[in-house]
This record gives sequence, structure tokens and C-alpha cells, in this order.
Amino acid sequence: MGRVPAIACFGFFRHTALKNNALDERPVGQQAIISLQHVQFHREQREIFSDLTLEIPRGKITAIMGPSGTGKTTALRLIAGQLIPDAGKVIVDGQSIPELSRKELFACRKHLGMLFQNSALFTNLTVFENVAFPLREHTKLPEAVIRTLVLMKLEAVGLRGASELLPVELSGGMARRVALARAIVFDPTILLYDEPFTGLDPITMGVIVKLIRELNEAYDMTSVIVSHDVKETASIADYIYLIADGRVVGFGSPEEMLSHHDLRVRQFMQGLPDGPVPFHYPSRRAYDQELLS
Amino acid sequence: MSISSVAKLGRSSVDKCAHLGRALQFLVHLLSIKPRPLANFKYLMEEMFAVGVQSLIIMVVSGLFVGMVIALVGYTILAKFGGAQQLGQLVALSVLRELGPVMTALLFAGRAGSALTAEIGLMKTTEQLAAMEMMAVDPYSRVFSPRFWAGVYSMPLLMLIFSSVAIFGGYLVGVRWLGVDAGSFWSNMQVAVSFRYDVCQSIIKSVVFGFVVTWIAVFQGVDSKPTAAGMARATTMTVVSSSLAVLALDFILTTMMIGGW
Repeated sequence: MGRVPAIACFGFFRHTALKNNALDERPVGQQAIISLQHVQFHREQREIFSDLTLEIPRGKITAIMGPSGTGKTTALRLIAGQLIPDAGKVIVDGQSIPELSRKELFACRKHLGMLFQNSALFTNLTVFENVAFPLREHTKLPEAVIRTLVLMKLEAVGLRGASELLPVELSGGMARRVALARAIVFDPTILLYDEPFTGLDPITMGVIVKLIRELNEAYDMTSVIVSHDVKETASIADYIYLIADGRVVGFGSPEEMLSHHDLRVRQFMQGLPDGPVPFHYPSRRAYDQELLS
Repeated sequence: MSISSVAKLGRSSVDKCAHLGRALQFLVHLLSIKPRPLANFKYLMEEMFAVGVQSLIIMVVSGLFVGMVIALVGYTILAKFGGAQQLGQLVALSVLRELGPVMTALLFAGRAGSALTAEIGLMKTTEQLAAMEMMAVDPYSRVFSPRFWAGVYSMPLLMLIFSSVAIFGGYLVGVRWLGVDAGSFWSNMQVAVSFRYDVCQSIIKSVVFGFVVTWIAVFQGVDSKPTAAGMARATTMTVVSSSLAVLALDFILTTMMIGGW
């Protein structure tokens, strides 16, 4: 199979095995597919979100950005139902995630894909078996069909030739591409990316950026990217949310965010070392008292 | 004693109770999984290979030496009273009633238990379990349950192998080296050992030990902190907790079996 036909084959599952699902018949871009409303979340004694409200439009690439430790990944885990909020609503495609039973949550997750920061490949399985894993667990497809589907997905991420390698034999970028192939093997409606650009060299980063954009268009998917890499994220995102102090402090297109009126947003987007987020960690004693006295 | 020490003690007790509560909750969840023998047969066999077959060498070597030592010490004592011909009986009863189940469980905790904890802990640290959940695959039925039942099934089989090899080790030292009559060795053993009271009870002990050791091992992996120090602590806890649990349970089971209760 050539390279272009592999891309053209995206959506096999959505238009065949899952063709009766109502999700696919809704028009793209008319409403929010993910909605977090007044979400509060604490971890141990620390408040992560005091009042987080955001909406992810259907069929777009939306980035959730913010400095390290602001709870970007936590927001993603709330959307995926891996964490339960203390208060507020998390609605994904019309379903209130915290109220779902385990069985209902698993059914909902069949339409969600997630790319983990460290790829989370099964270390004892080959690349092929990693990508085939969801198919083997959820379908009774013949081996020949599974093989074709897996190789199509691997071809889409450029790693068909690496199908027999083990995860330990892959570079970080290759591992992330395999994880991406695995995340899209069921043709999900929503794809969540947790720090997809972290720790990658410029070439691999370019490959991942290209793949996210192409996959989103080929599948009519909704993509949510959690990242603090401004340049790469701004190059592909339709909208950006900036989180700080447990809430959203800025929202808009990448261009709007770069010239945002809020100083915190401008400091983050332009990578300024000092500003509302101070360079110095707060100290109990003043500089001159501690060092010059 | 200062108030902070009391608070520390209280906090520690609460943490221990919470840990035990989580362990029980985990066990209930594990046991409540609907069995799918056909679907899970392949995974069960894979895990039985990992925890059972791969533990065989250590069981065989340990069993051989344990049997040889019992025979050597037993012969020295029995010979003083002119009862050296009872060596077969001594070796068989010591191994079947106590040393077989207990030694197998302790070795299993060190070899397979710690490996189970490390494997599951690593899967948690590298987010493999979270990824599985995101793919709508339940780690309880796909990862924890096959490993748990593989441990429960493997332990009695390993115990029987350990005990057989230990008796053979006793035979080598007693008959081949020290010159005990082979006929006396085997016939006294045959007369003294009851299948119902000795073999079956040792199998019951093994099943109980297998249940407890594998539960501890799998739970420690699931409950480990996803750091290097957390993993090290979890594997240590598996070996220590399992060993203590096996020794305590052995006393309780032995008391029950000899009719003390």
C-alpha cells in the first residue's frame, strides 16, 4: 500500500464497524463536544482548579496551555474520566463523565484516544502487537483484517517498517508515533494529547506537528493538546486556552493570544522570564536582609 | 511523650488502616470479576509460565538441599537411638507437613512475588495501566486477575515438586551416602504418610499461602508510588509482608489441622 492511500483509509472503523453510532452523524463544528463547567479539584491539600470553565469546539484543534504545575494534564484526566472533580461538571459528547458507571465510562472511552506523555507502550509487546492490542481486546476480527488495519495505521505514522521492533528498540519520537498509531486504531472521535512535543528533537517535533494536523483533518476528529511548547502548539491549534491560578486566564486563536491584553497571557506566550509570574520564588526575608546584613 | 509523637502514631495507624482497607477493597474487586475461562485461558497460561515454570529451578535446587540436610541431621539423631531405619518417615513427614508448603511459599514470595510487584509497579509508573484503561480495557480482568489466579494455581504444584525433590534429596543422603536400607526407607515412609492427612493438608496450606502471597504481591504493585523509591519499597514490602503472613498462617493452619481448635 502506498503512502497516500494509507491516509485515505483513515476512518475505516468510524464508517464501517461504528457506522451506526449517532456520534458520527452530528455536524462538525456546531457545538462544544467537551465542556468543563465551574470545575473544582484538590489534590491532597493543594487546590489545582478553583473554578475551571472551558469548552472545546467539535472538529477543531484546541490547546490547553499554561506554566508547569498549573494542572494541564489534570484537566485532560478529568476529561478522560481518570479523575473525578470535587465540584462542577465535565461533559463529553453529551455525557456527564463523573456520573458514568465504570462500564459506561469504558463504553465512552472507545470513542476517545489518548496520547500519553511517555507513550505508555506495553514493553513486552512488539510495535505491531501494541497497535493491535485494542483491536484484539474489543473485536473478533480475523487476523488478516487486524494485520491490514494495524499496518495501515503504522503506515500513516511512517513506521510500517518498524512493526516487529520492541518498544525498547525505539527512539522517543518513534515511540510517540507508535502510541499515536495505537490511539487512532479505533478511529476515535476525540483525541487527547498529553505534552506531545516534550523531549523531541526538531525533526521529530515537526513530524508530530504534521501528524496531528493531518490526522485531525482526515478523521474529522476533535483534538485537545496539552502543552507548554508555544511555537509548535500555536502553529496547529485553532484555539488556545491558557490556565493559571486554577482557572482560565485567556482564550482565543493563537494570533489573539499573542497580543492578549492580560499580562500573564502575554508573558507566557512570549516566553518572558519575568512578569506576573515572578522570576524569584517568594522568600520570607528580603534580599538585603538575608544577603547583605 | 510529646503531643507530636502521639499525632505521628495516630497518623501512622490511620495510614495502616487505610492501606489494609485498600487491600481488602482490591481483593473484593478482584474476586468479583466475572470468570471468563476460555477468553482468559491464554493469559492465565502465560502468567503460570512466568510465576510457576520460571520458579522451578529455585524450587528444585532448594528442595534438593533441604531434603539432604533433613536426612543428614535426622540420621545423626536417629542413629543414637538405633532408629536410623525410620529416616524415610522423618524426611517425608517433615517435608510434607511443614517445610514443603512453608519453604515453597517463602521462595515463591522472594522469586515470583517480588517480580509480580515490580512488573505491575512498572506498568503503573510508565502509565501502561492508565493507557489500558483509556483503551477501555479493564486492568483488573486483563492484568491483575490472570496474575493472581496463576499464583494461586502454581503454588500447590510447586509445593508438590519441591516436596518430591526434597524426599529424593533425603533418599540420596540417607540411602546412597549413609547406607540406610532402601526398603526400610520407602516402606516406613509409605506406612507413616497418610494421603488424606499429610498430602491433602499440605495442598490446602499451599493454596492458602498462594492466595495470600499473590494477593499481597499484586496489591503492592498496584498501590506502589510511581517512583524508583516507591517501587523499591513495594517489592521489599511484598517479601516482608508475605513471609510474615505465611509464617503466621502456617501456625494457625497447623493448629487447626492437628485439632488444637
